[in-house]
Amino acid sequence: MTYELNVAHLYGDLMNTYGDVGNILALNYYAKQMDVHLNVKVVSLEEDFKAADYDLAFFGGGQDFEQTIVSQDIQTKKAELTKFIESDGPLLAICGGFQLLGHYYIGADGEKLPGIGALDHYTLAQDHNRFIGNIIIKNQETGETYHGFENHQGRTFLGADERPLGNVVSGKGNNGEDGTEGAIYKNVYCSYFHGPILTRNGDIAKHLLVAALQRKYPDTDFSQQAALSIPATF
Amino acid sequence: MSFRSGVATFAGKSSYWFLHTFLHGGSSLPGKITLKLDPNILRTLGAKYDVIVITGTNGKTLTTALTVSVLHEKYPSILTNPTGSNMEQGIVTTFLNAKNPKTGRPLAVLEVDEANVIKVTQYIEPKAFVFTNIFRDQMDRYGEIYTTYQKILDGVALAPNATIIANGDSPIFHSKELPNSIQYYGFDNEPDSDFKAKPNTDGVLCPNCEHILHYHSLTYSNQGKYFCPNCGFSRPELTYRLTKLGEQTPTSSKFEIDGHPFKIQVGGTYNIYNALAAYAVGRFMNVDPEQISDAFNANQQVFGRQEVIDVAGKRVTIILVKNPVGLDQVLHMIGTDTHPFSLVGLLNANYADGIDTSWIWDGDFEQLTDREIPAVITGGERYKDITFRLKVAGIPDDKHIVEPNLEKVVTRITEVPTERVYVLATYTAMLQLRKILATKGYIKEGLGV
Repeated sequence: MTYELNVAHLYGDLMNTYGDVGNILALNYYAKQMDVHLNVKVVSLEEDFKAADYDLAFFGGGQDFEQTIVSQDIQTKKAELTKFIESDGPLLAICGGFQLLGHYYIGADGEKLPGIGALDHYTLAQDHNRFIGNIIIKNQETGETYHGFENHQGRTFLGADERPLGNVVSGKGNNGEDGTEGAIYKNVYCSYFHGPILTRNGDIAKHLLVAALQRKYPDTDFSQQAALSIPATF
Repeated sequence: MSFRSGVATFAGKSSYWFLHTFLHGGSSLPGKITLKLDPNILRTLGAKYDVIVITGTNGKTLTTALTVSVLHEKYPSILTNPTGSNMEQGIVTTFLNAKNPKTGRPLAVLEVDEANVIKVTQYIEPKAFVFTNIFRDQMDRYGEIYTTYQKILDGVALAPNATIIANGDSPIFHSKELPNSIQYYGFDNEPDSDFKAKPNTDGVLCPNCEHILHYHSLTYSNQGKYFCPNCGFSRPELTYRLTKLGEQTPTSSKFEIDGHPFKIQVGGTYNIYNALAAYAVGRFMNVDPEQISDAFNANQQVFGRQEVIDVAGKRVTIILVKNPVGLDQVLHMIGTDTHPFSLVGLLNANYADGIDTSWIWDGDFEQLTDREIPAVITGGERYKDITFRLKVAGIPDDKHIVEPNLEKVVTRITEVPTERVYVLATYTAMLQLRKILATKGYIKEGLGV
């Protein structure tokens, strides 16, 4: 392969519910078609994350208990993760990963647990209810429609400088109130979608990979990669 | 028996008779009727039994069947519940349907759904509980593994005198202090080394200090001789040990427990865990190892979930898959076949299958790509999901047959170039396929699950 990208799988051994690892498999699948080799490394508890070491990052969802532990540990990675995001590093965050990039979330026992505040959203809980089911959203800028399966107790509210990943066509979305789902900030894509998101919505995988390539190889023309056709899988 | 219980029991029994005689069914409705008339009926019905409750995510049905076989070597009268009747109503029906035992105190060996343990222990104090394992399974129903274990423990809390017989290789079963007496079983057949579980494994945090667990040896998922390098938490002392693992094929396994040789007519390491659990209950109830071996040899029908069907000369094995750990184990078991085979994946997403199909991405289909598989058929209502999963796993397009319609899947099976065919199907896809196979005369209607 001609190109190479280093991928951080943030807390891949703890934040890995609902097939979220499929996002790594899908990235690999499309990367191969773009002549790109991925080196994927799990970065977990008590391990360093250095912004300069990675070209792309993935942060999946986890169970309540694991997410509580990660909420503490991720504070040690806050500065470098923020640096990665602010320097246009492409990152995909799902469910718990989405929540932990924001200011805080309310845990299963009602306690307020910190995120890293790299993105401007926050997450509340709902009593004895989860948003569970198939969901469809539409991104107004690209016109792309995304399919997924949501399963979350958290209700997330976006900040002023975040755009939603899409507007809810059917399903609940971020909070069941404002019709938004997920978030986009610089090259960060957040969502509650399982399914996993990149296996059903290859266009997002393509956006992430092309952004990572352009950032790593600024003098190269990646229009061929950007033109990769993604057949429907769902 | 009180008048109310008497009336309730009579109503339930006669409805069972009616359903069974005229409708060839009746697994939970009689229980439902009886419970309506007397919500406390289990206290009356269960009072004269020594009860063993078997619960956990995977392996309940087979462990229950094997345990019944093992205990039959020593105890003549054992009541048990049929597959799928592991919730309160099904359990009440099971007791209603019991014949009065001739002599002595009879045993009841019950497979109980995790959340329904408390519905049994409210009325009956079991003699023993068996905990097989807790894995992610249809989390849209119960939530996470810790929630599921807590549901079991809520039930166990009402029976502090019962002995717990638990899978010692599963860290979660060593995570809470309990008043009960506990015996553990597990694998002890490898020299110690030091490594972590695969990244995509669930439940690898030390329950004591929340660091990542290491392993001296590991069977699959997060099960093995675990230890925490940070605080010293480790696998408890085992009462029953698998001391040697012998030859494994898709249809048989040889192994030794506590130095005694055993053979079971079914493949899969997960089934060795089921046999180990049945052995542990047998020894707990004073059945000799030789008698346990006889029981394992005698009883082959209990392995019905993996029956082999002749479909126009093809040797077709249908296997139910429902969660990632089970799926991984099935894929591993198929991989032990030394003959060439074709693969069929049938995916539905109805309630009984789990409405979220994301779990197929946690299954390690990639392990099959070392094998030369000449034909892969994908079908079912969610054929697009399973098709893309296998494409990503590396199944080449020219080997891949996409056939949503199950009727046509059966035709396709007869056309593959291998004699052996493995069909992995979710619950409702399996039922639909069996119906078609029955219509075509390859199996009799109503057999199996």
